[in-house]
Amino acid sequence: MFQFDTLSLVFVALILLGTIPNLFYSFGYLPHIERKAHYLLHYFSFIISMLGVVVAANALVFLIFWELMSLTSWQLILTEAKEKKTLDAAKFYFFMTHFGFLFLLLFFLISTDGDLDLGFTDMHNIVSTFAYPTLLFFFMILGFLSKAGAVPLHVWLPYAHPEAPSPVSALMSGVMLKVAIYGLFRFLFDVLYPWQLEWGILILVIGSLSSLIGVLYALSEHDIKALLANHSIENIGIILIGFGMGMIFDSMNLKILSSFAFIAALFHTFNHMSFKSLLFMGAGAVLHQTHTQNIEKYGGLIKSMPITAFSFLLASISISALPPTNGFLSEWMIFQSMLSSSLLDNTSLKLAIPFAIFALAMTGGLAIACFVKAYGITFLGLHRSTNAKHAHEVNFLMQAGMILMVIVVLSLMLFTPLYIQWFDKVILGLGHISVYTKIFPNGVWHMHSVGFNGGVVSPLILLLALLSVTLLLMFGYKSMKVKERLYHTWACGYHTSARTQYSATGFAGPIRRFFNWLYKPDEHFSKKSIAGHQSKFSNSHYEVHVKPLFETSLYNSVGKIANMISYWVYRLSHFEQTRYAAMIFNLMLMVLFSYRIFAHDFSWATLVLEGMVMIVSIKVLIIGDKQ
Amino acid sequence: MIIYLLTIVMLLLISPLLLGFIKALKMLLLYKRPVSIFQGYRNFSKLMQKETVLSSESSSITRVAPFLVLSPLLVTLFFLPPVVQGAFYVSFVDAFTITGLIALSTFFLMLLGLDSASAFGGMGSSREAFIAALVEPAMVLTVFSVSMMAGDLGVGQAGVNLAAHFPKEHMASFLFSAISFFILLIAENGRIPVDNPETHLELTMVHEAMILDLTGVYLAIIESAASVKFVIFASLFASLFMPFGLQYTAPIAFGLFIVKLFAIATAVALIEVNTAKLRLFKVPNLLGIAIVFAFLSLITFYVLGA
Repeated sequence: MFQFDTLSLVFVALILLGTIPNLFYSFGYLPHIERKAHYLLHYFSFIISMLGVVVAANALVFLIFWELMSLTSWQLILTEAKEKKTLDAAKFYFFMTHFGFLFLLLFFLISTDGDLDLGFTDMHNIVSTFAYPTLLFFFMILGFLSKAGAVPLHVWLPYAHPEAPSPVSALMSGVMLKVAIYGLFRFLFDVLYPWQLEWGILILVIGSLSSLIGVLYALSEHDIKALLANHSIENIGIILIGFGMGMIFDSMNLKILSSFAFIAALFHTFNHMSFKSLLFMGAGAVLHQTHTQNIEKYGGLIKSMPITAFSFLLASISISALPPTNGFLSEWMIFQSMLSSSLLDNTSLKLAIPFAIFALAMTGGLAIACFVKAYGITFLGLHRSTNAKHAHEVNFLMQAGMILMVIVVLSLMLFTPLYIQWFDKVILGLGHISVYTKIFPNGVWHMHSVGFNGGVVSPLILLLALLSVTLLLMFGYKSMKVKERLYHTWACGYHTSARTQYSATGFAGPIRRFFNWLYKPDEHFSKKSIAGHQSKFSNSHYEVHVKPLFETSLYNSVGKIANMISYWVYRLSHFEQTRYAAMIFNLMLMVLFSYRIFAHDFSWATLVLEGMVMIVSIKVLIIGDKQ
Repeated sequence: MIIYLLTIVMLLLISPLLLGFIKALKMLLLYKRPVSIFQGYRNFSKLMQKETVLSSESSSITRVAPFLVLSPLLVTLFFLPPVVQGAFYVSFVDAFTITGLIALSTFFLMLLGLDSASAFGGMGSSREAFIAALVEPAMVLTVFSVSMMAGDLGVGQAGVNLAAHFPKEHMASFLFSAISFFILLIAENGRIPVDNPETHLELTMVHEAMILDLTGVYLAIIESAASVKFVIFASLFASLFMPFGLQYTAPIAFGLFIVKLFAIATAVALIEVNTAKLRLFKVPNLLGIAIVFAFLSLITFYVLGA
């Protein structure tokens, strides 16, 4: 019923590392929740269900806990259901997660042959005789990636995460998405093992797209929690890039590189858990003090909330993949595994992977821009609203939660070799080869890439060097005993005020303008001119909203098509009775044909032929002449 | 080891001179009376004696950030390729770490811009973020392509390998990546046509806008960070794309390296005199060229093997 192999244990550790600081934070947050019993009940069952998913040893237990995880997190979003926005977000989340569940159920029903009590090794035996593994692969990634929030199934994240209470958003984004990554690891390795090359390429493409699209929409966000939710999409994309590279290397028989890429993906999974939880906690603390999620209403919070500001800064540096943080190390590993693509024995792949490198590098650059914006507008400058002015540091329990998470981030940074050794055991347990001795050939100081032109990084030496140089410089400055004077910022003769600062919208302006073709922003600009002058006005207002492309194009058009089809069905149902018989005939024809196609051998010729027969019979028997 | 330390000291000392040289050369070419090429040192010593005026709107970030802008760049100086054959070099740092360190320095510079609550600072940060985001992919792809020709991703090792074995058989991709890297050198150091370091006009400022509220020692630190950054890029270009002359005896090799640095500075000055500053929204076109050249370099390497 339950199993505790290394993969499960590693993910149990991930969940515990993510939830223990969250527990403190959550209890600090509790006084602000009205429905305490409701919240606590679902909070704890959410944590238990996540643990249950990663230790489940058969399909039935897995599915039960998976569904429990979805339902409890859905209820947690509804903890403070006062606005229609929250209800809509919860409804959307409920729909998306069950959309994924449907495919997971299909996957399990096929791969267990209907007997859901089977263990994973038995499932592997059944799958290896199944004729269409790619179909199973698609069912599986639709199920897991809709939970993980990869493009194009990511649209629920920027709605669901901002509406949940802050500790819950930290858990959902930091931990729950990783449970979906666990699912990928577990079922790709244990059940669907001999992978086809195209699967890895598909994962790589999804990963690259997710990372770019996530960070681009994060940049255009004003809602701090939606910004972080979009960054979750980005980071899931980065994890999937590592994962996809691992799969590609494995199908090209480069086992060492494959293990390296999988370790990189697993390491980034841990890192994302740590810094994203920390960021959500920090955002929650700010939100808790200022009572708004609008980033334009913050400002200057570093003076009143130093601990929050410091932990947010650490997490920002880490998520922007700047050395010597843990986020840099895992992104470095993923870059290294992509650079090893020159060893692939396939020219078109070799030429294609630089585009994924481009996507990842671009993501890195834009993430830096986005976190300078998030940090700078929130914590630096002058207060942009009265609420921000009256903010003060959050209570002790919430601070403790953040500090514990800072410790988790630091531990990932300082004890990288230990973590990597552990991830290496996971990969070994999943039937791949161990590469720990290749990554750390001479002690723990230097981390090596396993490719032939691979690089080396020394996280600890780098950290020590940076710290010592910075401290030396600061000591030098102190010992100079420079006279210091405080004076207002020079604003060209005007008063320095909160309203003349750069806003978040303005900060992202150049990037938004450059990506105008993607954003297609909805801009509103109005001003009250004085005496007809263009340049003199008493009052002006500018607003810009970016509607996500995927939502407007993909999802809304699916809705439109569904509407059209239902209208068509409605019209059919008002036909005269003779046509019902014709419809039944066509339905039987379709069932028989599809049975033949799926259960027996497949050939394009018969598919086309049968398709033509279907179309002709529908046209002649059902639609008939146009009236 | 002595040569290694000497190189670092030399690079540190020469960095204000290079920027002063560019400025003087530009003025000469524009028929102005040139400033002394030692102006950089004079500015530095003047700023070091001034009192520090801190903005009362700013926070502790302003007190810490200047050091954090400079220290990653100083650390990077230790990781550069050797200028003399057989000299000590750090072998455990690769090009990604160096791009990361430079990005770390830029990150704190951008925070510094936002800290003083002035519209100029935000403007500069916003523009810098835009440019830096587009520089990143070109940088990584160029690094990738160079690492394949040099057979190693570590900068020190790559410099040594290229000097020992010049990639004649990959001349085309080598040139393409050199062009790409040179554009990045201009963009990262805020030279014309990407940014004009000499004006204080809000339409054109990028780097200057971020540091408008600094004085005294803090300004001296940021200015030296800018010159150190230039010397890092110039010496990377010299070691990776002009890998000759390392085999001579130490003084000659040293002199040759300094000549290379001045040659790069001259090239930058000539470009500055002959081009106008681009509008901010045209800068992506220039960086797009860098990205395309980096891709071309990879493609010619893979497909043609040239």
